[in-house]
Amino acid sequence: MNESPRPELVVSGFPRKRARWIELATSGDHKDVARILISGALGFLFIAVIEFLLMRLQLAIPENKFLSPVGFNRMLSLYGGTAIFFFALPLAIGLAYYVAPLQVGARGTALPRLGQIGMALWVAGAVVLYAGFMYTPSEAGVNPFAPLTETAFLSNNGVDAWATSVGLATLGFVLISIDLLTTLRNMRTPGMAWRRVPIFAWGATVGSWLMLFVGPVFLAALTMLMIDRNYDGIFFADGSGGAPLLWQHLSWIFFSGAYMLILIFAFGAIAEIVTAFSGKPLFNRSAVMTSLAAIAVIGTLAWMQNMLTAPIGLGWMYFAMLMSLALIIPVGLVVFNLIATLFGGVLRMRAPLLYAVGALSLISIGLAAEIQQSLVAAAWDIKNTTDATAATHFALIGGAVFGGLAALHYWYPKMTGRTMGESLARISFWTMLLGVLVTFVPLALAGYDEGQVIDAYKFFDATGVNAYNLIATIGAFVLAAGIVMSLVNAISSRVNGAEAGHDPWGGDTLEWFTLSPPDPHNFDVLVDVRSERPMRDIREAIAHRTASAELPTRESQPVA
Amino acid sequence: MAPHSPGTDQIDTLLWIGFVAAAIVVVAINLALFYAIRRYRGERGAEPRQISGGRRIQFRVAGVLTVFAAVVFILGIIFTGKAHETPTTGDAGLTAQESAPLEIEATGQQWLWRYTYPNGAFSYYKLVVPVDTAVKLKLVSTDVVHTWNVPDLAGKRDAVPGKTNKVIFRANDEGSFTGDAATLSGQAYASMRTEVEVVSPAEYEEFIETQKTDIEAAQERVVGLIENGEVP
Repeated sequence: MNESPRPELVVSGFPRKRARWIELATSGDHKDVARILISGALGFLFIAVIEFLLMRLQLAIPENKFLSPVGFNRMLSLYGGTAIFFFALPLAIGLAYYVAPLQVGARGTALPRLGQIGMALWVAGAVVLYAGFMYTPSEAGVNPFAPLTETAFLSNNGVDAWATSVGLATLGFVLISIDLLTTLRNMRTPGMAWRRVPIFAWGATVGSWLMLFVGPVFLAALTMLMIDRNYDGIFFADGSGGAPLLWQHLSWIFFSGAYMLILIFAFGAIAEIVTAFSGKPLFNRSAVMTSLAAIAVIGTLAWMQNMLTAPIGLGWMYFAMLMSLALIIPVGLVVFNLIATLFGGVLRMRAPLLYAVGALSLISIGLAAEIQQSLVAAAWDIKNTTDATAATHFALIGGAVFGGLAALHYWYPKMTGRTMGESLARISFWTMLLGVLVTFVPLALAGYDEGQVIDAYKFFDATGVNAYNLIATIGAFVLAAGIVMSLVNAISSRVNGAEAGHDPWGGDTLEWFTLSPPDPHNFDVLVDVRSERPMRDIREAIAHRTASAELPTRESQPVA
Repeated sequence: MAPHSPGTDQIDTLLWIGFVAAAIVVVAINLALFYAIRRYRGERGAEPRQISGGRRIQFRVAGVLTVFAAVVFILGIIFTGKAHETPTTGDAGLTAQESAPLEIEATGQQWLWRYTYPNGAFSYYKLVVPVDTAVKLKLVSTDVVHTWNVPDLAGKRDAVPGKTNKVIFRANDEGSFTGDAATLSGQAYASMRTEVEVVSPAEYEEFIETQKTDIEAAQERVVGLIENGEVP
């Protein structure tokens, strides 16, 4: 250092490199934050699968004694919290937080510390949920209804742990959504008008708005619950002016919004994959964009579809049915346009497209079953039966597991520089598809034919559901095996995957313009966007320039 | 579910309509997907035509979807309305109940149903009702949310503390019908079952009378024991 050619400069080298995990944990880079969210979410997928298997084992034979009633209820509460707040939502939001800023050509996010705090809150929520093992997890179910959650009925601190945990996670999602939304609104590269924004980034915009609306509603409900439990509140206690139904309204608004958010992210990812692997532009882009926004609004307004047996007026039930059925129009348009994009294309059946098609198929089964669930008098029969469990799981396994894995296979090369193993991906896909059908078709039949009720820790012999439940348990193991294969694939491909290069699929959007994985500043040059398929334009410009190489370079069209 | 009341007949029809609607959606989407990936599996290097859709086809598809949703909605309203109608007591039913339904209070509590009959008698777990008679169950809860659910006789309804809900049904046939509570209510939720025994009007009258005298006798005996100082 003393022999520096310019002694007037103090040259002490770069700051010492810190350990990789410290770099990752303290980074405000949206890609680092998103990687923690995504890998955490995949880890929690594994945990949720284990919890689901334990419940299915208990329900394999009638009046089983594998889990105690309280043990089963705790497993159920953990499973619901894990699957929704620590797998499905963070996977969707994490993927969006990684990819959407790249897609709009942003060099970072607008409020990086907000996203980082959001991720930290989410991690804290996960720790609180599972630290519950040290004392007592919640026993109140997936959406714990008041007044069961009041201290009079569950006096141990399980419900407090649950409320704290999902509250921290939701607050984290809201903060990340604020950062993502600000970025997508303000930091798009020149020429990237809303009509040219990639469909996944548009889905991220709609989903972030949705989270900004429904997240605070749920946070308010959780706050009221905590006041009820710890400071003698009466929000949800009957008598003294409280209203148990208020909890159902507030929580179902959030859960309906979260359901729609997962579907919107899945549709966005599927749209990107379908366009990239068919070599065609998205059929009717503007209709898909409008429909995604409509799904967010209408789907959330249908929250009372979950309350069709509650003491609410028949008129409100009709309103819920109207909103649920109105959802057919935007969802139908999205699905129609996605399939229309496939038609006439040149389809390369690689793993991302395979998973995307599987996701569409399962979502169609789930949402079709929801049509039946939304017919008021029909719901009086099949609501809160395993038929409803099956409908929700078809849609959400389709959206979050298959849609999430489709997105993961598609963007894995961008995140790691390597592709995920193709043959393992295929085996895993078919195993999972078989598993989903063998698990949830029998459960749907048990609910539809025999009225087997939801959330019960046991069922009785001679009620006609023995065979259905045994088959469902076997199917659950097949499904779990398939999911584990995909997780193993994701882990081992980090080092063993084939080198992918920067643009392995020939996608149309800007994330394929940068390195894999991208540098912290995302792009060396800002791209000037002229159409909704900027990467295609760039490729064509390069091809054009190579073909006419004899022209002086200064007179050729600039690439970017 | 095997319908045994006019209301559940309507519910059964609507379920079937919903099933047909769902089946149409599932078959249409999956056939289209299957056809697309069979027919358009591509070769390397081929360039597809760059079609990006048109306004007209969008409006047509939206129109078809709207009609589909509207038809399902209207059918839903029609059959829900029918299922919601208060049935009238028939000739074989309890003659005193021809003008208004027989009102019985069903109280949900962790983890049992209690039924209180018009004459003040009550029973736990088992509800006895006369055949061919309109019965109105007033659903209340003393603790948490419970769902009363006997699918063969009526749709399920929640008993929410602080609120009153109601189930109205008319059993067509004599017999015994069981059901499980359908909202997670705590530890013994899975065992919270109920049985509805549909009997002839005469047997019903006899049942509530016996129940009443038995309860009174038991209470008198307890009062007697207390007065004699045999129980504290």
